[in-house]
Amino acid sequence: MHSSHPLELFPGRTVTLMLFKCVRNPAELRRSAMGGQITAALINPRMLVDPFQVIVAANKAVHLQTIGKMKTRSLNSEIIFNLSPTNNISEAFKRFGISDADDSVLVVLVATGDESQTLADIKEKVDGEQVPMEELPTLSDVTQIRKLYKVTPQEEKMGGLLDSVVCKMATKDVM
Amino acid sequence: MELEKNMVVSEFLSKGSVLKQGAEARVYRDVFLGRSTIIKERFPKKYRHPLLDEKLTHRRTVQEVRSIQRCRRAGIPTPVVYFVDYTSHCIFLEDIVDSVTVRDHIAATRQRSHPSPTLVPLEPLAARVGRVLARMHDEDVVHGDLTTSNMLLRRSGDGEAELSLVLIDFGLSYISALPEDKGVDLYVLEKAFLSTHPNTEPLFQKLLESYAASSKKSSAVIKKLDEVRLRGRKRSMVG
Repeated sequence: MHSSHPLELFPGRTVTLMLFKCVRNPAELRRSAMGGQITAALINPRMLVDPFQVIVAANKAVHLQTIGKMKTRSLNSEIIFNLSPTNNISEAFKRFGISDADDSVLVVLVATGDESQTLADIKEKVDGEQVPMEELPTLSDVTQIRKLYKVTPQEEKMGGLLDSVVCKMATKDVM
Repeated sequence: MELEKNMVVSEFLSKGSVLKQGAEARVYRDVFLGRSTIIKERFPKKYRHPLLDEKLTHRRTVQEVRSIQRCRRAGIPTPVVYFVDYTSHCIFLEDIVDSVTVRDHIAATRQRSHPSPTLVPLEPLAARVGRVLARMHDEDVVHGDLTTSNMLLRRSGDGEAELSLVLIDFGLSYISALPEDKGVDLYVLEKAFLSTHPNTEPLFQKLLESYAASSKKSSAVIKKLDEVRLRGRKRSMVG
């Protein structure tokens, strides 16, 4: 029930997404991700409009890793940082990482080749219910997203919330 | 490392199709992150000193990205930026699908009205262009290369009334509040407009009227435009 997306710029690399609801062990998961037992980015789905947002962040993270210009310590933390509209790292983790009070989580894995074992391992560790990616919009908090990304009404009217959010993410380092 | 990082994008682009090649950049169309995407690559200019070239190219890439975001924030339609690679100077932009350039639209409409030439059907479009440019200038974005080829009409619903105007190619754009800069921006458009579409003076007049009526700061800009018409785009360097 995961979805995979190829990164065209980096042949062989794919972004795999798994969405979980009713998660009972967020604190444990967060510790495992920070300790390196889970080699994936764990994201709070409330701040996500669409999976495309995560794929854009993952592509940028792999790019910055390739040229040696990541702002954070690992590829997974870089994905979380890239989702944020600001350049403040701790703020990004607070908004887009999972917190101990969350009950849903989006698992993002950038893999080269076969990742089925890693996926199975992660599934094992999450004490929750895996749901299709199509359910992502039911978990997002549109009001909070608008506020966080400072999307103006005229901007949203023009091309929708996802466009505005993605554009802000992609341009944040020169604004 | 320098070589390797540039390989990633150039290898990707070698498989895409070149849409256009100008003096400043090449434009490709390809699928990127599952979407149809326009990639604008500012290639190295061999005739410039490498350090100067790098600096100028970087600055222009940054400037383009900034102007696009500034326009979008104000609700002026421009393509979404998906990704920017500041090492190979590539901007990955939304492909405005199902669109025609204003240039082709004007030419086709005039063709249709032949042999009894009339500009009346194009007046609403001219007025729309004037309004959008007024809003852009009110945000202090100066486009730098206004032509009817750098404006797209996108079908956003059904019927011609639903066409929305999208501004593209902010490669020469910059931020300025000076009426002088905005006046030159309009002057460049006037020159391009009247040479691309001969005998359309009333149409451009309509565009300017609409610009003047929509912008809060238009009177100073129009005054400057009149000055620029007399002297040309460049200011006198005497004195």
